[in-house]
Amino acid sequence: MTAWIYTKYVDFMKGLFIDFGEWIKLSWQDFVDEFKLNFIEGDRWEWLVEGFGNTLLITLLAGLIGIALGVIIAIVRSTYDKMGPDLKKRGGIGYGLLKFFNSICNIYLTVIRGTPVVVQLLIMYFIIFASSTNDIMVAVIAFGINSGAYVAEIFRSGIMSVDKGQFEAGRSLGLNYIQTMIYIVVPQMFKIVLPTLCNEFIVLLKETSVAGYVGTVDLTKAGDLIRGRTFSAFMPLIAVALIYLVVVMIFTALVRKLERRLRNSDH
Amino acid sequence: MTTNNDVLIKVDGLQKSFGSIEVLKGIDAEIKKGDVIVVIGASGSGKSTFLRCLNLLEEPTGGQIYFEGTEITDPKVNINVHRQKMGMVFQQFNLFPHMTILKNMTIGPMKLLKKSKEEAEKTAIELLERVGLADRKDAYPSQLSGGQKQRVAIVRALAMNPEVILFDEPTSALDPEMVGEVLEVMKSLAKEGMTMVVVTHEMGFAREVASKVVFIDEGVIKEENTPEEFFANPKCDRLKDFLSKVL
Repeated sequence: MTAWIYTKYVDFMKGLFIDFGEWIKLSWQDFVDEFKLNFIEGDRWEWLVEGFGNTLLITLLAGLIGIALGVIIAIVRSTYDKMGPDLKKRGGIGYGLLKFFNSICNIYLTVIRGTPVVVQLLIMYFIIFASSTNDIMVAVIAFGINSGAYVAEIFRSGIMSVDKGQFEAGRSLGLNYIQTMIYIVVPQMFKIVLPTLCNEFIVLLKETSVAGYVGTVDLTKAGDLIRGRTFSAFMPLIAVALIYLVVVMIFTALVRKLERRLRNSDH
Repeated sequence: MTTNNDVLIKVDGLQKSFGSIEVLKGIDAEIKKGDVIVVIGASGSGKSTFLRCLNLLEEPTGGQIYFEGTEITDPKVNINVHRQKMGMVFQQFNLFPHMTILKNMTIGPMKLLKKSKEEAEKTAIELLERVGLADRKDAYPSQLSGGQKQRVAIVRALAMNPEVILFDEPTSALDPEMVGEVLEVMKSLAKEGMTMVVVTHEMGFAREVASKVVFIDEGVIKEENTPEEFFANPKCDRLKDFLSKVL
């Protein structure tokens, strides 16, 4: 009885190892075939490269638009908060203008933060720029305007967290409001908001993955196109995910380095 | 009232309220060239507010301030031009942390007095030598001690070549052993004839350097006199009480 169990056991284990070895061999072959099918055949890897390029281009340009819009809006809004009462007392056109721009900024923030980015993108493409066929430029503008709203709030909280004494020291030297902002407050603000700003940039990078909605071949769309051709989902989608991951990791490392350098001025 | 050419700052019925709280209830003062006015008073008496009103860091809610004969409380006046001639030194130093010491000192002269970089730096280094900090010109403020920061803050104000310097409790945030070095710099400025308005708790400084000591209480000037009279024969009861507590 014991002998019988033993032989059965040995047979079972032999079978297991042979099957496992076979399985590995077959899987590796599968993997190589899949890889060839998805990336090599028909030079499909070129789609990923093109898509990746577009993703970077859209993110970079949209990020720049976002920062430019963000600085302007943050300065208008914090100026209104800080100087509004004084200007009102002084009268004249200054207060009226400031109030006007401040309300425009508020409407912009409410609308952009209150609607999904995909809807904004579709509106841009099919309504506002209906006559344009340059889908990448439309995506850049849509994502830039979207990002600006979030960046503006990041900058505004940064401006507000710069010590009030810094502003006073600048004004007491005789610098006017704008000079004090440019030379004293905004440089310190950038340092405060840098981590949050980078986070926003990473969010933006990943958000551009919906650009495919308007036919832009970005990284995500490229992976999806390959999937549609090869009817094999694993390879292209995991590859796309890995590329995003690596870019985000590299970017995070760069930011950490930059933060360390900026810290040199406050030991 | 005759306008004297020697009068640098004239304050008429100065009032300041924060919301419903009335901090200054009508202050009159005259500051002549070369005066060293020391303002003392309990905390919350309005002495710092008074000082900050002089260069309109706080906008007065009533009364007038004249600087070199111009009414700077007039909304049409460009206050930035006048602030260039009114230096200010803060309790918390307020050096610009993202700039080196040299940059802290040259930004005003370069942006406002349109001095060249070389010229501004030359003046800055001369001033730093005066307070013994020339070797720290490339350091950042965070690398200096409190006393060093405040000395830099004083020469930063001096770099604009001001007519008057306002000191807002310049030694209150310092460790005790650093108070002396800052007071020394202030004393030497006073000896050179710099016009100064100083809000402080340093009674020794007031006694030694002030040309006039002013006691502010409950938003008004309760007493003002030469330091000798002020400390030896205080007249109002509030001042007697105050001096008995701080001396």
